[in-house]
Amino acid sequence: METRQQGSTLFSAVLVLIAILVVIQLWLVAAAVDALLSRQMAVLVPTTIASGVLFALSGGLLWYVVSFDARLRHWSRRG
Amino acid sequence: MAEERWREDFPVRWDEDNYMTRRELAKFLTLGSGLLAGVNVLIAIIGLTRGAPAPPVRRIAAADEVAPGGSLLFRYPTDDDPCILVRDPSGGLAAFSQVCTHLSCAIVHRPGEHTLACPCHKGSFSASDGRPLAGPPTRWLPRIVVEQRGSDLVATGIEV
Repeated sequence: METRQQGSTLFSAVLVLIAILVVIQLWLVAAAVDALLSRQMAVLVPTTIASGVLFALSGGLLWYVVSFDARLRHWSRRG
Repeated sequence: MAEERWREDFPVRWDEDNYMTRRELAKFLTLGSGLLAGVNVLIAIIGLTRGAPAPPVRRIAAADEVAPGGSLLFRYPTDDDPCILVRDPSGGLAAFSQVCTHLSCAIVHRPGEHTLACPCHKGSFSASDGRPLAGPPTRWLPRIVVEQRGSDLVATGIEV
C-alpha cells in the first residue's frame, strides 16, 4: 500500500525527471533551428521524433504520479 | 498576536498568492514539454515544405584573372556574403567565406605563408582547405565550390 511519504518522494523525483526532459527538449529545439538555418533537413525529423518521445515520457510520468496520488487519497479515505 | 493594522486595508498575502505546489509545477513543465514538441514539429514542417533551395550559380571572375599565389574577393551566394578566392603557386584554386569563424572579422590572404589570416585576433587558416591553424578560431572556414566553365570561374555551392 502506498504511503504519503512515498508519494512525496515520488512527486519530487518525477518533478526533477520532467525538468530534465524539458531541458533536453530545449536543446533539441536549438539543434533543430540550427539545422534549419544551415539547411540540414535530415536532422529535422529525428529531432521532432525525439521531442515527441520526450513529451510522451513527461506526460506518462505526470499521469503516473497523479494516479499514484489519487490511489493514496483513496486509501487514506478508506483507512 | 493581532494582525497589523495595514493588513486590514491590504489583505493580499503575496506569499500565499505566489505559492506553487509541486503538482502545479509538474503540470506546468509538462505543458512546456508539449509546447516544445509542437515547436519542433513546426520547425520540421517549415524545413520539409520549403526544402533546401538550390545554391545559385554565380560567375566570380575570368579564369586568368587570378595569378598563381594571388587572391580575389567576391560575393557568394548573395551580395552580403564576402568570400575569397585563392590560387596556390602550383595553380590550384580554392575559395572560402571571408568571414572568420571566431568573431566574424574579414580574413586576408597571406601569399608568402599560403594562409588566410584574421587581423582582429591573429587567427590563421590554411589557404588550401580552410582548416584553423592558429589563434582563437576552432571551426573550419566554409568552402565555396568553384568550377571553371569555359573561360570563367563560377561558384556553385557552399560546403559547411
